[in-house]
Amino acid sequence: MTLTLEQVGVAFGGFRALTEVSLAIAPGQVTGLIGPNGAGKTTCVNTLTGFQRPDTGRVVLEGRDMSRLPAHGFRRAGVARTFQAGRLFGGLDVLDNLACTGVGLGMRRAAAEQAAAEVLHWMGLEALESRPAAGLPYTDERRIAIARALIGNPDYLLLDEPAAGMSEKEAADLAGLIRRIATEKGIGCLLIEHNVGLVLSVCAHVVVLDGGRVIEQGDRATILGSAAVREAYFGADQAEAA
Amino acid sequence: MITQHRIRRRMATTTPILLALLLLAFVALTLALGDRAAARMASETLIRVTLVVGFWIFAGNSGVISFGHAAFACVGAYVSAWTTLNPAMKATLLPGLPPALAEAHWHVLPAALTAGLVAAALALVTGAAILRLSGIAASIATFAFLAMVNTIWANWTPVTGGTSSVVGLARYVTPWVALGWAIAAILAASLYAASASGLALRATREDEVAASASGIDQYRHRLLAYTLSAFFCGVGGALAGHFIGVINPDGFYLSLTFLMLAMLVVGGIGSLSGAVIGVLAVSLAVEALVRLEKGFTLGTATFALPPGSQEIIIAVAMILVLVFRPAGLMAGREIMLPARWVTGRGTSQN
Repeated sequence: MTLTLEQVGVAFGGFRALTEVSLAIAPGQVTGLIGPNGAGKTTCVNTLTGFQRPDTGRVVLEGRDMSRLPAHGFRRAGVARTFQAGRLFGGLDVLDNLACTGVGLGMRRAAAEQAAAEVLHWMGLEALESRPAAGLPYTDERRIAIARALIGNPDYLLLDEPAAGMSEKEAADLAGLIRRIATEKGIGCLLIEHNVGLVLSVCAHVVVLDGGRVIEQGDRATILGSAAVREAYFGADQAEAA
Repeated sequence: MITQHRIRRRMATTTPILLALLLLAFVALTLALGDRAAARMASETLIRVTLVVGFWIFAGNSGVISFGHAAFACVGAYVSAWTTLNPAMKATLLPGLPPALAEAHWHVLPAALTAGLVAAALALVTGAAILRLSGIAASIATFAFLAMVNTIWANWTPVTGGTSSVVGLARYVTPWVALGWAIAAILAASLYAASASGLALRATREDEVAASASGIDQYRHRLLAYTLSAFFCGVGGALAGHFIGVINPDGFYLSLTFLMLAMLVVGGIGSLSGAVIGVLAVSLAVEALVRLEKGFTLGTATFALPPGSQEIIIAVAMILVLVFRPAGLMAGREIMLPARWVTGRGTSQN
């Protein structure tokens, strides 16, 4: 009962963004995905959510091959995501931004607004309800993007660098929110982050990508003790210094 | 507790009522002038409201500019002509019509509805191909569709009369008939905008990628809006035909396309009120300039603009709107009752 990539390869022209990547996101847990710039993290998320079709291999959700489904089909099957840029619907207010997911999932408008109000309440963001989405402060924008992805209780939520540009305090609050999403709502999360500390503090299981391949995976201790991870993150710097 | 969002939704329900009242006042005023030219201008303006509001249902909610909607008006006008013209006349003008149409001699109302339905069916079929393209590519494809319809209509002589005009359409379109259809279009447009599909389509307008991450099937909602929108353009075309009594394919081609676009841009594509105000503003300005060209008398002197200045002044006015109010006169806002009028006594808050 997982969301998995099986031996997935993705190439853009001659550039192989992912090579034989296999990974699994467990339900109700937070899995981390880290790796240096250009490692293929975002391509991984795009493939897991239907925004990128794998050239080889399969995307499987609870035994079902999803590889041919369009992105909106992934969301309806229970796989939600956020984007590095918040990508809110700028011309709509916050409640309508959330309600869009509701109508996307087939709800009537009133039911979608009800679901939106409930999620805002759960996150303690009721005060933002009637604000236009364009012009929200940066951290609120990120939180609204997460709220929008939570409508209709998806089974999986993929967060693409949600803490980028946040302060320590804001990142810590975000970590708390992600833990609540996994434990209270039972949603399996994949957290893609540059902030390795944040990932290690939240995730039970971490996958490390480099050069489009999985170079390590395991719990916190495994990642911290891995020579391959140290090589990927610090190897280049040491070579430059030498 | 009643939130700002709820209040805004309630205020939005007053928009179609206020727009309908505005158009009603417009008709009453022009008829009060007692001048036949003014009554003609009123009918023509309200037919354009039907066309442009129909156009807005798709373009305003999806953010995709269509150049093909004049083709739906063309089809609508001919469907109404085929079904209402006197059979004896059709036998000579349009000998190639299939027997069922050649003998049809319908009442004008079912003919107008059929005009809308045929235009909608055509939109459903062509939209199924065109709307799979994204953004600008879809716009260009709608332009190709317009050119195709025009070419077919100009050459399918036994059925359409080719480039020569079809004459003798019953001239039943009074300002009141046109007002009825304009209000119907406004009601349909505001119901669609408030619906789940309308919200989903606006999400795709704001951000296609985020919309599909929200589970929204962009193609489906675009196709629905395109079809609904074509219905009112088809009806508008039928009304235009019965207003003048004469139709030919070039009456529903580039000049109508650009007039509809110009009205929508002047009023502001971002709101239904913008579509209506744009039509009124452009129509009234054109009417005023036409009258000035004819000349007016002040005391003993007669003033007149040189002929042709109307087009130039309208063009300059449109450029000024684009420069100083790029989002149009209404800039995306709707005409609605103020918050305290819709919240009832005691609950007003701000």
